[in-house]
This record gives sequence, C-alpha cells and structure tokens, in this order.
Amino acid sequence: MSLLREAERCIANQKSHVSLNAFITALQPSGQWREQARDAELRAQQAQPKSKVDGRLIAIKDNICTRNFPTTCASGILDKFSSPFNATVVEQLERAGAIVAGKTNLDEFGMGSHSINSRFGPVQGVRHGRDAEPFSAGGSSGGSAVAVATDQCYVALGTDTGGSVRLPAAYTGTVGFKPSYGLISRWGVVAYANSLDTVGILGRNTADVRDVFNIVNQHDRRDPTNLSPSSRSRIFSHLQTPSLASRMTKTPLRIGVPIEYNIAELEPSVLHAWLRSLVYLEQQGHSIHPVSLPTTKLALSAYYVLAPAEASSNLAKYDGVRYGTPFEDVDGHKQSQGYLYANTRGHGLGSEVRKRIVLGAFSLSADAMDNYFIQAQRVRRLVQRDFNSIFKAEQPLASHWPDVEPASVKSGVDVIICPTAPSPPPRTSNLMHPDTASSPLDAYVSDVFTVPASLAGLPAVSVPVTGSTNDLDAENGGLTGIQVVGQYGDDELVLKVGELLEGKQL
Amino acid sequence: MLRPWLRQSPRAARSLVGSQCRQPHSSRFPTLPYNYLKSLPVRNLQTSAAESQDRVPLRKQLKQSAKSLKAEKRQKREEEEASRQKWELTVGVEIHAQLNTENKLFSRAPTSSTDLPNSNVALFDLAFPGSQPEFQIPTLLPALRAAIALNCDIQPVSKFDRKHYFYQDQPAGYQITQYYEPFARNGYIDLFSHDGIAPEDGDRIRIGIKQVQLEQDTAKSQEYPPSTQLLDFNRVSHPLIEIITMPQIHNPATAAACVRKIQSILQSCNAVTTGMELGGLRADVNVSIRQRGEAAGTHQYGGIGGLGQRTEIKNLSSFKAVEDAIIAEKNRQISVLESGGVVEGETRGWTIGSTETRKLRGKEGEVDYRYMPDPDLPPLVIGADLVAELRNTLPTPSDELYQLLMSKEYGLSIEDAKPMVELDDGVRLEYYQDVVDLLRDLQQDQDPKSRGGLARVAGNWVLHELGGLLTKADLSWDPTRVPALSLAQIIDFLQRKRITGPTARQVLAMVFDGDARPIPQLLEEESLLLRPLSREEYIALAEDALGQNPPMVEQIRTKNQLGKLGWFVGQMMRTGEKGRVEAPKADAILRELIFGDSPS
Repeated sequence: MSLLREAERCIANQKSHVSLNAFITALQPSGQWREQARDAELRAQQAQPKSKVDGRLIAIKDNICTRNFPTTCASGILDKFSSPFNATVVEQLERAGAIVAGKTNLDEFGMGSHSINSRFGPVQGVRHGRDAEPFSAGGSSGGSAVAVATDQCYVALGTDTGGSVRLPAAYTGTVGFKPSYGLISRWGVVAYANSLDTVGILGRNTADVRDVFNIVNQHDRRDPTNLSPSSRSRIFSHLQTPSLASRMTKTPLRIGVPIEYNIAELEPSVLHAWLRSLVYLEQQGHSIHPVSLPTTKLALSAYYVLAPAEASSNLAKYDGVRYGTPFEDVDGHKQSQGYLYANTRGHGLGSEVRKRIVLGAFSLSADAMDNYFIQAQRVRRLVQRDFNSIFKAEQPLASHWPDVEPASVKSGVDVIICPTAPSPPPRTSNLMHPDTASSPLDAYVSDVFTVPASLAGLPAVSVPVTGSTNDLDAENGGLTGIQVVGQYGDDELVLKVGELLEGKQL
Repeated sequence: MLRPWLRQSPRAARSLVGSQCRQPHSSRFPTLPYNYLKSLPVRNLQTSAAESQDRVPLRKQLKQSAKSLKAEKRQKREEEEASRQKWELTVGVEIHAQLNTENKLFSRAPTSSTDLPNSNVALFDLAFPGSQPEFQIPTLLPALRAAIALNCDIQPVSKFDRKHYFYQDQPAGYQITQYYEPFARNGYIDLFSHDGIAPEDGDRIRIGIKQVQLEQDTAKSQEYPPSTQLLDFNRVSHPLIEIITMPQIHNPATAAACVRKIQSILQSCNAVTTGMELGGLRADVNVSIRQRGEAAGTHQYGGIGGLGQRTEIKNLSSFKAVEDAIIAEKNRQISVLESGGVVEGETRGWTIGSTETRKLRGKEGEVDYRYMPDPDLPPLVIGADLVAELRNTLPTPSDELYQLLMSKEYGLSIEDAKPMVELDDGVRLEYYQDVVDLLRDLQQDQDPKSRGGLARVAGNWVLHELGGLLTKADLSWDPTRVPALSLAQIIDFLQRKRITGPTARQVLAMVFDGDARPIPQLLEEESLLLRPLSREEYIALAEDALGQNPPMVEQIRTKNQLGKLGWFVGQMMRTGEKGRVEAPKADAILRELIFGDSPS
C-alpha cells in the first residue's frame, strides 16, 4: 500500500473510531500530512527514504510536548496549554520524515492503569466481553495502544513509568516496549516521576517498534539523565564481547522464570499463556531456569512511595500563576476567598492525581521521610541487586553502582519471561461505576509485574500471545501479554526474544 | 569596594577622608540637631556685642544635651552589660550571596538583571512542562573561590535537592539547593578587633562555617496594591551561595562584623558582584538566649548543644539591620523569659528603623520543605586538581595583607592598611607598592634610618593627599592620573628637603590636573625648588611678624603660651617668598627672638 493511502486509511480510522476516545487532539483531515506523505512517497519511489518511518503516521501521547498540537496531559489544569517547543523525540521522528498523527489520550499526567483518569473522558478498549462491555485499554498510554490496535496510526509513542506502555500493550494485543532508562531523551516529556519515566514505543509488531527505537535511541544533552556518548560506547563495546554478542545469533538462550511471580492472584488464563510460552521457547532449543527475585514483593509498595513523591514535586508548578488554568467561581471571580493555589489545584487536577500528590507530600514530609521515601529507595537498590544477581550479563555501567554483586556466569540467565499483568483486562464499566468499582489498590496490583523493571531501569517488552482456546478464557480469546525483561542495555536482545513469541498461537 | 564598608566603619572613613575634613567647616558637627542651628541668632557672628550674650546659652545647651546623651548612653551600656552578665546570647548567621557568573545556574540564559524584565529566561527558568535543568559548570568557579576563601573543605561529591514551597516568585514550586550534601563544609573565618567585633570578644574570634551550598535565586516581585503583582523572572535561577555559620556568635556587633567580613571576603575573591546595598547579599540570623550558670538549654543547632529555643529573623539587608535586629530580638526573648513566658520557635521579620522584630509565622505555620534529591540532576563531582588550581590563584587574604602593611617593613596603621587593601579592588594597593618601590630606589643614597619610614610616608600621600584630591574632584581611582614615578619623585624631593610640604602638595595638584612635565623639569621651570633663606632673612621676617602683635608676644613670653607661636609662623610664611620659608626654621627663630636663647 502506498504511504499516502496508508495515511489516508489511518485518518479515516481516526474518524470512524472516534468513540474509542484514543485521541485528545486528532490530525485535521485538511492538514499538512497529505503533502508530507506524498513527498515521502516520492522519496520511497526513488529508493531514497529518509528512514524506515518516512511518511508514516506516528501518534504521540499527550504528555509529550508538541509545538503544533496542544499538550494537555489529559489534565484540566493544562487544558489550555500549548508548548512552545517540541520534545526531542518529536524532533527526531519528524527529522526522519514521520508525521505526527495527533495526541493520544492517557491517564492524567500518566497516573493510572486503565486510561480512565482523563479530563477528556476514558479511553475505550478495543475488545469486548460477551456482554458487549468493553475491556480496559490499560494505562496510562491507553490512547496510544488503542490507536495502534485500530490502525489509527502506524506506531505510537507512550511513556512508561511503572508499566504504562507494557500494560496497555498487553490489554490491547499490541507490542509495547520500554527501553533501558536513559536511552531515549526525556526533554519535552512532562515529568511524572523523573527517575522512572521512560519514553516507550507501541506498535503492531516488534519490527516496527525496533525501527522507531533506532531513530530515537540517541544522546541528547538537554536531558541530563540521558546517557552520554561515552556511556553509550561503553555499553556498545561491552555487548561486543563474544559471549554476549553470540546471544544475538545462534546460541541457545538461558531463559529465567522468576518463581516469586507465580502469585496466588495470577489468573489461570495468564498462567497458562506463561507456561505455554516457556514450553514454546524450550521447543526452540532454549533452556528454562527458575530464578529468584525475592525483593519483587516489596517493589510495588516502593514504587507507590517513590513515584508519588516525585510527582508531588513535579506537579507543584501547576499553581495557576505560570501554569494551570486559574479557577474561576460561578461569578467569574478568579480568587475565590483568596485561595488561588488551593482552588486552582483542587479544581484543575483530577482525583487520582490529587491522591498521589497528597501521598507524595506525606512520604516526603519531615516526620515520614525516613520511614517511607528513604526505605523505598533502599528497596529500589535491592530490586536492582536482585536483577544483577540473576543475569549472566553484567550491568555495563557497574562501576557507578557501588553495591552490585558479581553476576554468576554459570547460573546467570539472558532474559526473564513473565506475564505483563496478573489478569486479563477488567471491564471499563466495572472500573468506573462507584458501586462496582474495585478498590484503588486493585488497579495498583495490575502493575505488580511491570514495576520491578521500572525500578531497576531495565529494558522490557510486552508481546501478545494467544493461549490455546480451550475455554480457559474464551472471553478474551486467550490473548495475553507476555513480558521479556533483560539486563540494562540489552534492549536488542529483549526485542529479539519478544519477536520469537510475538503473535504466537500456543 | 570599600565604599559600602566605609559607611559602616567611622574609623576608616575618618582616616580616608581626613584631608577633606580639614577643609570644610560645616562637617565638624555632623550630629548637631537641626533645631539647635535654628536657635542660633543669624547675625551673632558679626556683631561681637550680641555674641557674648547669645553664645553662652547655646554653649550651655550643647554641653547639657551632650551630657545627658552621654548619661543616657552610659545607662544603656550598663543595662546592656547587666543583661549580658545574666543572659548569654547565641547567634548563627545564614548569608545568601549572588554569584558573579554570566549564566544562570541551570540554563544558558544570561544573569544580567538590568535588562528588560523577563527578557533573560530560558524554558527551564520558567519551569516549562517538559523542560530540564542543564547545570552550568562555570557557575561553580566563583562558588569554589568563595568556599576556599572561607577555609572550607570542598566535597568531592555533592548533590542537589528540591526545597518545596508555593510562592509566586518561584515558578517550579520548589527551589533547587544543596540540603543533604552541600559542596563545601567545615570552614571558618577569623574576626579581629579591626573588623569591628564587640570588645567582649577580645582581639580575635573564630567563627565556624558549617556549610556552603549552591542554590537558585527567586524571581523579583513588585506589588502594586491592592491587587496587582508584577513578576520579573530575569533574576530567577541566578546562582546563589548560602553560607551557614555555626551558632558561635555571642554579641550583636560581632554578628554584624561577621556579615561584613564575609561580604568583603566574597568581594575580594571576586565571587560576587554586589554587596548588601544593591541586594546582592541577604542575611538571616538565628537568635537564642540562655541564662548563664543555669542548666544548659535543651536545643541543639549545627552540632552545638545546650542552647535555648531559637527564632529566625529573615531577610536582613544591611549590617546595621543585622546588629539592630539581634539586639531587639535578644531583648524581646529576655523580657519573655523574665516575665515567665516561653520563647516559641518561629520566623520573625525586621523593618529598618524599627525597634522590635515582628512575628511572620509560628511553629504551626512553619513550612515543611519536603526536601527531595533532584531526580534530574546528577551528583556534582569536583576534582581535587580544580580545587588546588583555584586555591593557588586566589588573591592573598586581606588579613595577611593587613599584617604585612602593619609590619615593620611598611609601618602603616590599621586605619590606613584597611582602606589601602580594600579600596578599588586592590588597584590602590598595587599603585602604593609601585610608589614605595620607586621611592626606595630613589632614596638609596640616604641613611637606613630615614629610609625605614618611607613606606609610611608614601602611604600617607597615596591615601590622604592623592585620595583627598580625588574626593574633592569627585573622581574615581585612576592610577595613570598621577604616575607612580611622579609621586615617588615628589616625595623624594620633599624627603631631601628640596621642596617644602606645601610645595609638594601644590606640585601633586598640578600633576593631578594634567601637568605632564617630568617632576624635576616642572620644579625647575616653576622655580619651586627650595632656595633656603639665610638666617638674616629669617630674622628680618620674624621681627616683622613680631612687630605686628606685641601683646601676643608678651603673652608668649610671660605666660609661656607657646601655642600662639603658630600665628607668627603663619605670618612669616605669608610674607616670605612663596615656598622658601620652612616652618620648623621659622619657629626656631621666633623662639630665639622671644626667649632670647640662641642656639649655641
């Protein structure tokens, strides 16, 4: 299909799927995109495309700054905000010829697991139960995942702080990749929790995701947490050592299965898909090894201390003075009773965001700091140590990580395989209605398998597999997200293993 | 750079502008209240009859008021001393100083504050969503110079933290500072009596510096009541250092001296651009008291225990405010405790000219800053090589220069040494050194004894004679206006008694006003070289003068009122040929004629 026709089809899908609410700002049919696609098509015909994404429509999560579209973060407080600059990732993709396909819906500021905490209404999942009730699209990059799943764009960018790319990928049957922390620039990505935030990529298959990753995986000096060129070359030469380089060619891989992930809450259909995936890999000649990640049990709690703490700090700027739409009472008075900040923030921010700000403010307060924030940082270190002790490859930047234990080459594994989420997607209606709404902790539990890789900054991809349809979960068609996690810097290996499993009928 | 300091130090001010003070009469009674002047009859100076009647009550009045003022002061001093005996004051100081840097702390925007409001702001300075900090390495240099000059240990690794509070002058909702791990610790400064410390502290006291940290400045806000506030973000994120002293100060004057000295150290190592007067430096003080001899207090600050509950007074913008606010707060705490009350830990404010501190917010309103390590900023790693290089290139500390200037080699007084070091960013000192070197060269043939005093004489000419001309002309220092060689030659001629003092001053003024002729040529062409008068010529002049006022001669002879000799010397100078009458010789001749004792 020609690039122009493909673009036209995406735009048409944006129109026909408008009820899914995947986009906050969609592409205008009359916009520049048509000329851009036509130009790219010419380049393709002359065999001189700018890149693999030249002329492709790429949707951008609405917490990534764009000059030509508003950037709302799905928040009332930024509902009138337009950024004066493009995020580095947007610049990189546009330079590669890609066309921004619009800004996708999300949980406000990235806080949520189902993309229902949005000032612009919830994202509707693409799949339905037997009662025709839609399943959750997952969050917080649910808009990006749905846009990919319904061909409203070629690929989409999301952000992943504790699983926000992988979970929606698992719930929508797409591929969702969170690279190693620090590889993709965060300049222009509105911060939720800086030390965890990672730009992620959602696509219909791993190959598309890899193409985009190769374009945005570059040093950017404007992001101080972005890996320097010297660190990048250190990782590169580390991966060139024969024992590591051979993993990308033929040697059978050592696949780790973290025993602590076999939790009681695991749904049978998910457990089944996990087991079938392991059997499949074994059939391909790889070996399966149980590994232990004991601190995983604490990871979720640590995450829900650290991420809100950073969020409470990052969101302090939305006070109605510089950023944030000042609250006006019914008479149009701006400072009702003089409480500008409280009113602006109370009305502009949604309930989940307010909850996390209060949580974070508490855990940073003088009396609670030691028991919460500091403890959680310790747990984070332990989670990193857990991972370093099971992987065959060393943490390539290990000299900066003082308390790393040497990896044992003999028993070490190359990647670990586990489910992306412990259960299939819940129904959106159940999440939204107060009487049936489960406790907020249930939503947090859906992040239990994704958070450890975030805390350790490791690369992880969620790929869709289909378990046999022997009725274990006929409702969801047996579709499950399986997660591959690798050592820091092993992004290519993680994508390769994901590709082995992707779309398999098991 | 001494100018701000001068205002605070009457001693140095007097020594510096001494030559000026000698001339205008009006500045003699700077403290005379205006209404006294008004009560002075306008014509009494011309009509001698009225004079004697009117003068008496005025004199009396002045005397009485001076007396009562003295008594008041004495009483106050005694009270102060009594309360000092009973209560021990403890003060710690926090100083915020704007660093002398081109760029902001975390962006490449310029720091210039005189530009159009809101013209020097980068995305991060305004906390734009999605923007990130970019630490500007050069801002570290003045910060390090300051910390080294304050004798601190530079930390090889330090970190940035966020300090949270809502205020419109702070766009991010937090200030980036170094709370948990500052870049410098464990310094000290030595304060001497010439720094203006309280007499109770003796000749010298050492105040510890707990830490020095890097942080961002806030925006400038201007209020237009009732409802308009304007914000200028040019100042936001200007690099600051915060210097925190140990609570080791026990006298208000010493606290002021401490702030003053820290400012002068920061200025002499070129760490800051402006001082307190221009808002480049602000101070907060922590004040607590405890009764001497009583059980130790229960509070601990900066690792020093046994202290009383402290209060913090924020945003003091002058040295006088530091001293006055501490006195007021100390007295308030004493009266609270003496009336059986309890001092609350709270933040207080001070308005210049007031006599009381005022409560800003109490404990329940105290802000919890929720310090958090900044997750975007990597640790700051400072190499030992950089520190060593900066340490080697740092200018000599003022205290060492004072010691040198006051040593036998130069023989200056502290009153002269201080301005010599601090004036004109050290340029005056360099000039002085040039003059001394040249002068010593010129005087090589003289005996060692007279050569020993040359540096002191040169100091007088550089500071007072040349300084006086500058002040009079209202000009700033320019070392090329009177070349060092010219001044050295003038002094050389004077030392050799080949010109008189008045001639030397006259020649200096000529050169100052642009006469570019070499000094020997100028003296020759203007016939200014001293042609000594003969003894006969002196006697003739003296007899002439004595003849003009026989009653005074009589007074000198009979009542031994030698002070009146000066009048006759003046007469001789005036009638004699200009530049030829030497006052000591004239004086000797006059004595000889009046008392008849001839020099044998």
